[in-house]
Amino acid sequence: MTMFHFFNCAILAFGPHAVYYSATPLSEYDTLGTSVKAALVYLGTALVKLVCLATFLQVSENDGFDPYQELLKALIGFIDVAGLYFALTQLTHRNISQNHKFQAVGLGWAFADSVLHRLAPLWVGARGLEFTWDYILQGLEANANLVLSISLAALGSLIWLRKNKPKTLIPIIYACAGIVATMPSITSYLRRGLGWHFPKVVGFELFTSLVMAFISWQLFSACQRPYV
Amino acid sequence: MANSKKPGGLREMLESMYSVIALLFILVACVELCDAAAAFDVYRLIQYDMSGSPFGSRFAALNHHAASLHFPPGVDLSRTVLIIPLRELNITFVREYINQKKPLGGLLVLLPEVLSFKTGGNNQVHEKEKMKNLLAELERLLIHSNIPYPVYFAFENDEIDTALADIKKNDLMGQPATATTGGYKFVIPTAEPKKVASPTMTNIQGWLSGLKTDGDANQLPTIAIVASYDTFGAAPALSVGSDSNGSGIVALLEISRLFSLLYSNPKTRGRYNLLFGLTSGGPYNYNGTQKWLRSFDQRLRESIDYAICLNSIGSWDNELWIHVSKPPENAYIKQIFEGLSNVAEELDLKVGLKHKKINISNPRVAWEHEQFSRLRVTAATLSELSVTPELLESTGGLFDTRQYVNETAIVRGVKLVAESLARHIYGHQGKNIQIFADESSLAVNPAYIRSWLDVLSQTPRVAPFLSKDDPFVMALKKELAGHVDEVNVQHETLEGIFTFYDSTSARLNIYQVASVTFDLLLLLVLGSYLIVLFSFLVITTRGLDDLISLFRRPPSRKLKTA
Repeated sequence: MTMFHFFNCAILAFGPHAVYYSATPLSEYDTLGTSVKAALVYLGTALVKLVCLATFLQVSENDGFDPYQELLKALIGFIDVAGLYFALTQLTHRNISQNHKFQAVGLGWAFADSVLHRLAPLWVGARGLEFTWDYILQGLEANANLVLSISLAALGSLIWLRKNKPKTLIPIIYACAGIVATMPSITSYLRRGLGWHFPKVVGFELFTSLVMAFISWQLFSACQRPYV
Repeated sequence: MANSKKPGGLREMLESMYSVIALLFILVACVELCDAAAAFDVYRLIQYDMSGSPFGSRFAALNHHAASLHFPPGVDLSRTVLIIPLRELNITFVREYINQKKPLGGLLVLLPEVLSFKTGGNNQVHEKEKMKNLLAELERLLIHSNIPYPVYFAFENDEIDTALADIKKNDLMGQPATATTGGYKFVIPTAEPKKVASPTMTNIQGWLSGLKTDGDANQLPTIAIVASYDTFGAAPALSVGSDSNGSGIVALLEISRLFSLLYSNPKTRGRYNLLFGLTSGGPYNYNGTQKWLRSFDQRLRESIDYAICLNSIGSWDNELWIHVSKPPENAYIKQIFEGLSNVAEELDLKVGLKHKKINISNPRVAWEHEQFSRLRVTAATLSELSVTPELLESTGGLFDTRQYVNETAIVRGVKLVAESLARHIYGHQGKNIQIFADESSLAVNPAYIRSWLDVLSQTPRVAPFLSKDDPFVMALKKELAGHVDEVNVQHETLEGIFTFYDSTSARLNIYQVASVTFDLLLLLVLGSYLIVLFSFLVITTRGLDDLISLFRRPPSRKLKTA
């Protein structure tokens, strides 16, 4: 029964990535290579972040919200953005349209994040006899993360790959990108500073991810329309 | 050359990587963390055979769902653990279950925390008498029944209280916990209980020599003071026996301390030897005492004037009893009784005499003095019990904890015995001289009694589970050695009609489990979620036609070529 539960949580956490890949035209254009490369870039970024965190951060005894530490964590979080930039611009992709490029990069990024952050806790925890809702919530969080990563990749591609953008939309694009990039800090503030429980935090993440996805979709299609 | 090296080096690297990956897989598969909601100590009911008949709880491992007393009637409990807090215990219910051999997965009795010697401390027990009677009855029932499922005792704490409240709620709603309805699972992972091979009894004897002048050709007479130190109870890991016989041990140690003070100075050394005996095997017809006496030299045995055995002198108010097996008209018995009553009068307490004849053919030995009498040594037992205890009764059970012992009673008992002994030794019978007066240097020390009583009330002392070099037995020996001239330790095997099994305590894990149906439902929900997601993505990115075309067979090639 408990392996069953692990299997359930695993397909919740990793299933949507596979479904996304097979459902959208990504599979038709064989963009797997791009996703894999993006995953590797995420791995490298995670290692760099780990080293920086270990060097600069102090471990606090209580679980409270320390603004200075959180600021430091947010700054280190921007290494994420740098990694995404690297994946979008520097890697050589085969001839795939920009539309598909950001999706593939975002997908690979989210999959690597999900595996690295959730596979080990799921394997160790979900197989035990004791039942908690935590692992299902972690799977939902992985889903929200997928949507957020794809939106961030979309906004990133708008910022760096598309040269001609309508002037009015540029600040909005940057603002949205900023919000999405600082999502980790926002969630940790909610959890520690305001003391929200895990289900509430996951609900908030799902909601904001859908909202941001919708906004970035609108921005993307607005930039694609040939304008006068 | 450089070229040929490269592929070889690469292959080696790959091979080492494979082995690392394999190791990682093995490691990952072996990780089994204990993630129980709660884990705490539980103590098993004793398991023993008496003359081949099995008694007690015959199993130790437990892995069942839990139910409370509010279970819906008629439900099958053969794979359920029943949890009963002591205050809700109904003896007739338990007796009915055991006597009618109704199938049960396991039984867990929750004792109030105040009785725990680790955390209860010295808090007062409410409704002392009622709890004592209930526990005594429960113990009597469990010890003399053959129970084919594990029975455990545990102390109430917050975790198990919350779990029990939850279980009660579920039971009242009519949903007992099974594999398909979730609930709480109690797991005790322990091995099968094995027989204790050759259990040892350790007798400790201390010898205090009297003053031998040159004129004495024969050996000096001896007076023996004996107390048995081991216990027996329903839960051997909890059998601390503060009254039976912790009070006796403490009194013996204090008496030995007082007389060692007297005997240290040759001017005050009496013309009697003193023999102190801490015997084992008390609950089992005083088997240890018998073996100890049999090991004596004939001359030593004949030189014993009389023996006083101490048994449970910790919780009496004003009356003590002297139990004898020789008729009260016997001159020696009269002497002992008069000596004790004279002192008792001065101390403002009563002593009564109780005579119980020995039946040589009956192997049952109810009092320690009977073992002396069987070897024709005059002896008497001083006890607060007026009724002869049955086999395995009054041997330090669940209710015999520190809170039920009164140290002032022990102090008075020590005074009584020490004074009467001293008057006999120094020949002051009938004279009103207080040798161990309060405020003197020979006063009875209540702090000594209290500290040893506290130690004893935290040490379970069931003989088969005490090894040969058990630290507690060594401590007793060391303490006695500080007060006497010579200490001897005698190890004997506990043979006879009793066989014991180990596994007296274990760790209980409580898991809150979800049912299989829950996971099946979850699988259904997730499956439909993924399917919906798939269709949504196909429709938005490729169009509805594509979705439909996925389900349509591709047009047959035959038709096309035709």
